[in-house]
Amino acid sequence: MATVNEAPRYEEGAEGFRTEEMILNMGPQHPSTHGVLRLVMTLEGETVTHCTPVIGYLHRGIEKILENRTYMAGIRYMDNADYLSPMLNETAYAGAVEQLMGIEPPRRAQYIRLITNEMQRIASHLVAIGTYLLDLGAFTPILYCFRDREGLLELFEEVAGSRFNVNYMRVGGVLHDLPTGWLQRLESWLDKFDNSWKELDVLITGNEIFMKRTQGVGYIDPDQAVAFGMTGPILRASGVNWDLRVNRPYGAYREIPVNPVVREDGDAFGRYMCRLYEMKESARLIREAMAALPGGPICTRTPIALRPPRGETYFAVESSKGELGIYLISDGTEYPYRAKIRGPSFVNLQIVPELMRGHKMGDVVAILGSIDLVLGEVDR
Amino acid sequence: MDLTSGAPLPPAPLNAASQPVATANALVAQLGTIHDATGQPVPTRMLPGNIPAITVDAAQLLATARQLRDALGFDLLSSVSGVDLIDHRQVVYHLRSTTRAWLLQMTVNVPESNEIDSLISVWPTANWLERETYDLFGIVFVGHPDLRRILLDDEFVGHPLLKSFRPTPLTIHDPATTGTDGERAISGETQRGIGHQRVVPSHLSQGEQERLHPGTPTFGSTQFHGRSFPPQTWRHQPDYSGADEHDIKQEEKK
Repeated sequence: MATVNEAPRYEEGAEGFRTEEMILNMGPQHPSTHGVLRLVMTLEGETVTHCTPVIGYLHRGIEKILENRTYMAGIRYMDNADYLSPMLNETAYAGAVEQLMGIEPPRRAQYIRLITNEMQRIASHLVAIGTYLLDLGAFTPILYCFRDREGLLELFEEVAGSRFNVNYMRVGGVLHDLPTGWLQRLESWLDKFDNSWKELDVLITGNEIFMKRTQGVGYIDPDQAVAFGMTGPILRASGVNWDLRVNRPYGAYREIPVNPVVREDGDAFGRYMCRLYEMKESARLIREAMAALPGGPICTRTPIALRPPRGETYFAVESSKGELGIYLISDGTEYPYRAKIRGPSFVNLQIVPELMRGHKMGDVVAILGSIDLVLGEVDR
Repeated sequence: MDLTSGAPLPPAPLNAASQPVATANALVAQLGTIHDATGQPVPTRMLPGNIPAITVDAAQLLATARQLRDALGFDLLSSVSGVDLIDHRQVVYHLRSTTRAWLLQMTVNVPESNEIDSLISVWPTANWLERETYDLFGIVFVGHPDLRRILLDDEFVGHPLLKSFRPTPLTIHDPATTGTDGERAISGETQRGIGHQRVVPSHLSQGEQERLHPGTPTFGSTQFHGRSFPPQTWRHQPDYSGADEHDIKQEEKK
């Protein structure tokens, strides 16, 4: 803050020019801030000396809303937190209630959750990569990415009834069983996706302009990443092998092991590569889960009016952006006494000022896009 | 209000645990080192999902946090949550160890003064998490370098996640302009509130300040608004707790 509060300084530049610090507002309505994020940047020439994110433009008070909704009704509001990965959000909330009540969902429900969660992870990473490349000036990849994502959203529509706000998870299982022929359509989508993944890889990864703009930009040290609470692809791209699906397996991940994608780069390029290869890993997990999909019920018999016993618990899933944790307190009534959402985007955004400092103005977008923010989850 | 003293907790489920039983027990066995560091007893209980939960005295918070990070390897602060238990407030920390894959919950009861130590010096990620807790619960973190609202507007009054919070109207809207003649409506006189009650903010909002006085720094400057620390919005917050109890009694009579 101190830099921002000072009066503009006039200094002698290297060549004797008089330079002045400039304050530049980026956002909240800026196409490459991925929503309503405002960055207040202090520039010295083209170098960013200070950056202050201003958030809260999308604050809807989801935690307060959850306190005023029954446990089952609250699941629907989790969709709006991270609107690019609703399935993962719902799994976190339903899982927290299950943990509080001591319910174990049937195996089939857990496998269905794994399949939909990994589909959602692919969809979220596709958006992340597509929009990132769009920010960097490449228009084609987003068309490829959204073409593939469309297939996933159609499959979500078949299974849950809607494409975005799916409202599919329930406490104790899932809402509907898979429709007839759904698995075959998913299989054919995966076959298509194998080709599209190669296309994306060939189109982006070796591109010299892309590499020049991302390699060495926004480097995060492993120790720094842990200290700043980074999770998800950002942490793994910095060389820290930490994935809740591996280190704290929940649901069907206890039976289908995950091979985490870890890279040593720590820069924006590493984060992109992490997301790219995580999509491949997710596709592999979906295939394994489809092959091992058990039969049986899809949901336990839970009453409509859930009254978990008094107590508190914390349940976290590995979302597409990192650790998505739910801290729930029940006072024995139908409504949660307190529901806290630990959103990965909110915590990951904290490191942005550290990364921006000293970089050129042109790298700001390259750093911001590589963090993969969803402002719905930052502001909640 | 004590939520922990109700019915006994159900046995933790076998499979859907956040932490295997063996890991949780290994962690509990290690928690004695906190006692060595602070000299205070560490009440430990087990939450559903096999999450050990310790309760820490507010005065020992910083020492305990340092001990947890340095001796036990809790390097990742996952979340900071405020809880309003009506008669007092709590701050709940969830800590993880990336090397040993431990998960621990640390609860601190906020004293009457409503101030507890900031943990920024231990985990830098506490910065925004504590700002959020201050914003929504009004808990003041002593030693925080930049404690101001983060999710809500700077001019917002009250802390919305408190159970006693009642929304207050922020602006009074002018009557609709259907009854006015065209000229006045176009000139904006009616909209500006001439002849009606006018809302005069105590100070300019961020956007207005920047527009009227370009170049003046507004964002993040607590000095600019002439606010003392802690901010006045917290000091002058109306106390609704009495009304709450009254309402509850009225309902009980019915």
